[in-house]
Amino acid sequence: MKRENKSKDFTFISKTLFFPKKGILAIGDLHLGYDSMIKDQGINLLFNQLEETKKEIEIIIKRIKAIYRLKKIILLGDMKHHFHFQKQEVSDLRNFLRFLEKHVPKEDIILIRGNHDTFTLSDYKLNDFYIEGDIAFTHGEKDFLELYDKQIKTIVTSHVHPAVLICDKINIKREKYKCFLVGKYKKKQFIIVPSFFSITEGTEISEYKKGESYQQLIPKNKLKSFETYVVGRDDVYHFGKYGKLIG
Amino acid sequence: MTIVSEAVQYSREEIEKILHPLVREWFFSKFQDFSESQKFGVMNIHNKQNILISAPTGGGKTLTAFLSILNQLVSLSEKNKLEKKVYCIYVSPLKALNNDIHKNLIEPLEEINELAKSKGINLQKILVGLRTGDTTASEKAKMVKNPPHILITTPESLAIVLTTKKFVESFQDVEYCIIDEIHSLGNKRGSFLSLNVERLNSIAKTIPVKIGLSATIEPLEEVAKYLVGIAEDRKVKIAKVHSHKKLDLDVLIPTANLILENKPHIHMYRLIHDLVKEHKTTLIFTNTRSATERIVNYLKDKFPVDYTDENIAAHHSSLSKGHRFAIEENLRQGNLKVVVCSTSLELGIDIGYIDLVILLGSPKASSRALQRVGRAGHKLHETAKGRFIVLDRDDLIECSVIQKEMYEARIDKIHFPKNALDVLSQTIFGMAISQHWKLEDLLNLIRKSYCYQKLTKEDFLSVISYLSGEYDLEKDKVYAKIWYDKDTKEIGKRGKLARVLYLTNLGTIPEESFVTVKLQTGEKIGVIDESFMNRMHKGDVFVLGGSKYAYLYTKGMNLTVKPAPDRNPTIPSWFSETLPLSFDSALEISKFRKEMRKRFEKNLDKEKIKEFIRKYTYTSMEVSEEIYEYFYQQFHFSEIPDIDTITIEKYTDERDDKKYILVNSMYGRRVNDALSRALAYLMGAKGSAKRDVEVGISDRGFYLSSENTKIEKAFEQINSKNIEEILKQAIEKTDVLTKKFRHCATRGLMILRTYKGATKSIKKQQMKSHFLISSVKKISKEFPILKEAKREVLEDLMDIESTKLVLDWINSGKVKLSYNHVKLPSPFSLNLILQGHLDLMKIEDKQDFLQRMHKVYIQEIARRQDPEEFSYEEFLKDQER
Repeated sequence: MKRENKSKDFTFISKTLFFPKKGILAIGDLHLGYDSMIKDQGINLLFNQLEETKKEIEIIIKRIKAIYRLKKIILLGDMKHHFHFQKQEVSDLRNFLRFLEKHVPKEDIILIRGNHDTFTLSDYKLNDFYIEGDIAFTHGEKDFLELYDKQIKTIVTSHVHPAVLICDKINIKREKYKCFLVGKYKKKQFIIVPSFFSITEGTEISEYKKGESYQQLIPKNKLKSFETYVVGRDDVYHFGKYGKLIG
Repeated sequence: MTIVSEAVQYSREEIEKILHPLVREWFFSKFQDFSESQKFGVMNIHNKQNILISAPTGGGKTLTAFLSILNQLVSLSEKNKLEKKVYCIYVSPLKALNNDIHKNLIEPLEEINELAKSKGINLQKILVGLRTGDTTASEKAKMVKNPPHILITTPESLAIVLTTKKFVESFQDVEYCIIDEIHSLGNKRGSFLSLNVERLNSIAKTIPVKIGLSATIEPLEEVAKYLVGIAEDRKVKIAKVHSHKKLDLDVLIPTANLILENKPHIHMYRLIHDLVKEHKTTLIFTNTRSATERIVNYLKDKFPVDYTDENIAAHHSSLSKGHRFAIEENLRQGNLKVVVCSTSLELGIDIGYIDLVILLGSPKASSRALQRVGRAGHKLHETAKGRFIVLDRDDLIECSVIQKEMYEARIDKIHFPKNALDVLSQTIFGMAISQHWKLEDLLNLIRKSYCYQKLTKEDFLSVISYLSGEYDLEKDKVYAKIWYDKDTKEIGKRGKLARVLYLTNLGTIPEESFVTVKLQTGEKIGVIDESFMNRMHKGDVFVLGGSKYAYLYTKGMNLTVKPAPDRNPTIPSWFSETLPLSFDSALEISKFRKEMRKRFEKNLDKEKIKEFIRKYTYTSMEVSEEIYEYFYQQFHFSEIPDIDTITIEKYTDERDDKKYILVNSMYGRRVNDALSRALAYLMGAKGSAKRDVEVGISDRGFYLSSENTKIEKAFEQINSKNIEEILKQAIEKTDVLTKKFRHCATRGLMILRTYKGATKSIKKQQMKSHFLISSVKKISKEFPILKEAKREVLEDLMDIESTKLVLDWINSGKVKLSYNHVKLPSPFSLNLILQGHLDLMKIEDKQDFLQRMHKVYIQEIARRQDPEEFSYEEFLKDQER
């Protein structure tokens, strides 16, 4: 698997995507503030999402730094949860960015705007997309002409929180896992990164419905021909084409 | 500790002597003599003795309780000595109290007043106040200013008034506390009330006299202790009033052959119609709400001339209050010919004259069956006529045996939940609002409640830790609910919102919401729990009402399905929480099976056996024929399971190669639930590889399905000493635990239904509870709300105590395990597969499963490329290179 990934210039490290040659780490939807939303609804949640997220990222960065050089971190959007402005969330996000700044210089932290990201930060710019060489990074809810420029070979998105349901033959056991989806669409290689957010696993393709909140770049049927890489605790496992897997 | 003794009956003369002349005159203008329960009760209450009166419906219990109290109040009011305070609190779990109270309290009061007026006697007005969830704010305010002499209330509203300062002041001289319908308090509502009664005891200067009223119930001694609580100086008397009502019962089958008949339902409606025609007013009990509607609609449809909106109605708890009242009123007026209800008319609301009660399907316990049939011929000395109608052979045996228990007056036992930590959390929170408490005093008070007499100090302190926010990760105690001073060991109120939070979130009845299941044609099949629907995916197959359906799509609160008779269920179906068969009735059925088995083994001829069936179960020719056939088939197929034998069949479904272990263990669902999960867990965890096990649970047994079929070993490993530990591990990952955890978290105020003015939907609560439970597990396995959810699953949902008993029987050899390999399931076992409530015991770790499935995938790919040469080990080596 690792060999396969190297030839493609990218590798999966837990729930994140890493480009060794360029030293770029891409992180999926964080949805910081989900915990405070639950607590605001009168539910005593004994969970601190910000601290847990930092802990997880810290481990991933350590793993990367042991082998490679980490130059840039790209947050693929939906960094916070609420659609409207919420003080606690923005303060959580600032706290999180301060934490990232310990690992890479501030100017190498790139924020992509997601559909949940309705805020402004004085010291950070929110980008619709970000291009480095032949790779484009965008949230995945909206399309941009620039993504289809000839020089672009790979487009990295998040947004849909891809997940997969794995069943055994006799259909007794079923479990849901986060996964990466990799495939070709409009002559570009797409890599869809799972949500980083640990509270839910995500959404299966068959669960995507019509409507605004499910809007994304690639048609559902096309997604079924994508290759699936399932995120396990210790490794990421290749499971073949998504459509075949579901049967 | 609390002393329980039998009450004595007093003579008419003795009772007459203590009655005020007005009350005496009024009484004898209405009644000829005191009823039996009055002969037990009136004098004892007058002498300020605690008393539990257990009497069948129609025994005049409510008036018994009120008579001595009215007597005292009338005496005081004549002397102009009636004070502005509450003398008596009457608590009933019933929502619809109005009519009963009107008949037994308001009317007598009015009539006594009239009588006094006619004699020129001036009485002070005796005030009666009704305080329930429906009482308006202005009425409540009036009550605070002008406290009623007799307060009528519910357990929940009692908790509220105990937290209202001004009300509490008028409670200091309460002399009597009546608790009605105790037989319906064998649940967390009962725990809740028992704690609040202790709160009341601590407020009153002298502990009020307790009067408990109950339908026929066992064991009376325990119920009596529940009534008065546990303490050195507490005494209680028991009055057991026997029923003089004659029972006229029968079990009916609508068609001659239950197995061959394709459409038994059509015959059933015909039979119902015939019975209704022969009677004036018929009350029909079904076990589910959806069946209630279905029957009303069908009767109206098929017999449009006979049934119209004017003479037939459905009555169940999801109807609006107004609608229910209207139906009850119509019943009393004698306007209705038929009322179909689920369980809502079981309790003592006065519903006028009923001459026939029909029970559709098994009532699952003799006490419930008696309660239902007792609604007919309401007066004490009349005959109560009841008819069971059954469509299924297992039900037929069950109802026949329950009928036997009814005739022979055998009653199953009530179970009170013990040490429920969620209810405790809620109550301590409420108590802290009204005053500061020293922990020691608080614990002493709580332990006086029957339901908390054995509460450990550790559990008590962990509840305090939880409420005071000590488990809060952030250490800032943002979510702490009470103030707690570790040095002085005192607790008290915290935050301005505490009172509002308590008042808007108290209570113990979990909210459920249901989704209607329909076919594409629009035909309604039944309802399922909403949370269950959320877990379903397109194409999933599930069991509902004994048939299998595939999920198609949902729209709002409707779920559309298509029949899928040939597919196996893909998901558990714990949603239909139908009534479990009582352990006692299940054992009765096993005894009957033993009698039958003996007769078949002795080769007795058919007529002799049929005659035995008729005599033993008081049933008809037709019924005995049907029961005989069923046993005959079972006996000749393999073996009849009985009170000494659990039969276990191993069977492989050839269609999909699925292996089944079918266990005929007639102990009721609460025991089978515990037994099957513990065995499944052992089989799944102790095998060569950890694998999940599918379990299907019913009243009559259970089935297990998995790769490993070595149940023999699991039976060897399990015993009454280790079952509790095994089960605690076994339920760790089940849906049942998550669901119960949500209920407990809501009762324990971890999830607030109403917060900052907004009420949460159950869907929202459910969604979050999965996450909530995993966050709690990370903190501590002993977290009180999690511990409580496990206790509730083991002790209330399941019956761990009886399960231990069963395991002792098995281990001592009293009960034998008999194994058979079968090509097809035996007649008795067939329904275990069809009717079992499915669940999955998650044993294999999620990550291990992923790795295993990945190997399967790789093997599959390799096989496709080169079926001969592939070796997985080589593949792995190749990977590492």
